[in-house]
Amino acid sequence: MIAIVDYGMGNVRSLANAFAYLGEDVVISDDPDLMDQADRLVLPGVGAFGDAMQAINQKGLIAPLSRQVIELRKPLLGICLGMQLVAHESFEHGMHKGLGWLDARVERLAPAGPLKVPHVGWNSLDFPEDDWLFKGIRRQEANFYFVHSFHMVCANPEDLLATTDYGGEVTAVVRRGNVLAMQFHPEKSQDNGLRLLQNWIDWSA
Amino acid sequence: MLKKRIIPKFLIRGGRLVKGVGFHHNFREAGNPVSTAKVYDAYGVDELMFVDIDATLENRVVNGSIIERVSEEVFMPFTVGGGLQTLAQIAALLRSGADKVSITSAAVHQPDFVRKAASRFGDQCIVVGLDYRRTPEGQLRLFTHGGTVGSDHDPIDYAQRMQDCHAGEILLCSIDRDGTMSGYDLDLIHTISEKLDIPLIASSGAGTLAHCVEALDAGASAITISSMFLFSDHSPIKVRTYLSTNGHAVRSQLGSHS
Repeated sequence: MIAIVDYGMGNVRSLANAFAYLGEDVVISDDPDLMDQADRLVLPGVGAFGDAMQAINQKGLIAPLSRQVIELRKPLLGICLGMQLVAHESFEHGMHKGLGWLDARVERLAPAGPLKVPHVGWNSLDFPEDDWLFKGIRRQEANFYFVHSFHMVCANPEDLLATTDYGGEVTAVVRRGNVLAMQFHPEKSQDNGLRLLQNWIDWSA
Repeated sequence: MLKKRIIPKFLIRGGRLVKGVGFHHNFREAGNPVSTAKVYDAYGVDELMFVDIDATLENRVVNGSIIERVSEEVFMPFTVGGGLQTLAQIAALLRSGADKVSITSAAVHQPDFVRKAASRFGDQCIVVGLDYRRTPEGQLRLFTHGGTVGSDHDPIDYAQRMQDCHAGEILLCSIDRDGTMSGYDLDLIHTISEKLDIPLIASSGAGTLAHCVEALDAGASAITISSMFLFSDHSPIKVRTYLSTNGHAVRSQLGSHS
């Protein structure tokens, strides 16, 4: 079973629909017991970093989530803001502390040239073709849907799995052990996105 | 490289899709929202946009159950608008599967709502719709409530103001050109996109493939297309090929079920 962590900020239904389409048993929940029963966790998120951390904290989810991810090493997939939350800190509207599962910080996009922010739309990925996550993805058609103004900057280069180009290198996918996180929305990236979700489901830590 | 976006814009009336001219005339039935979304998903369009055109006038909000059904069928981004006035209404639509919301009337009557919404849901989530027409005196003025209520606001100044309120994108709609298939308002697209740091979505007037290229050349990050898709034989595939031939980066991937 896959548990989508519901802290009140996120497109939880789109994610649940995508996993259901792939034939998975999925729940949307803020109940630590259900997270305990789940084989995998998804941390979604749409909104501001500070509000999201406050909501997770108010629901008493920081300790249960850390237990699942750090102690039990359960596979976790962070998406968009859910990706950024696994960082140590963010600089969106002031400085906010994150979950800190990855040595990284979240900074505002500052593309070179006349590019617009937010970065909205389909952008191509630079990714390792032999990695399990990208099995079946063709480089020429590897476009994914981004919609964000901030992105993650990793302290450890080995955590960085894929990038996109938007007036400079933008972090697209990071991974350390059982923690995988994506800035773009796989659940909104049509066939390519569904393929990544399936590859994650097929992967065992 | 970031791709230019092709966005079919669908107007919802009574649970069905419709399309008219100049916001008020010659409305034609254009199908069921869910099955139409599936068709355009299969065409590999880049986003979808749904606007309930009666919601503000009827003092209600767009029906979330349609959005939930769309989100069960297509795994692509979509923006939803119609009558939004509260943060709770936005939260409910996002939960139903919308990725972004568009705010038009409330953006003019309570601009601080845009700021609050951006602060809560992130700038990237808030699309501000600017509906305007040219007055008999030749001035450009914003309209609200589906084009029925006038204002003293100029769209160029107001676009800047909305950026300052942390709007994520501007959706620029010419009421005069809506449904006419006579081409986008290139001068205004150029002026506003030069001035702003946020993306501009050009809307109203697409009738030919050349119109689509012109709007992107003028500075738009994305174009919406309605009548041209619904009532001509131009498919998204033709538009994409034509844009690519004319030097605009577009996506090659197709659909959620290909």
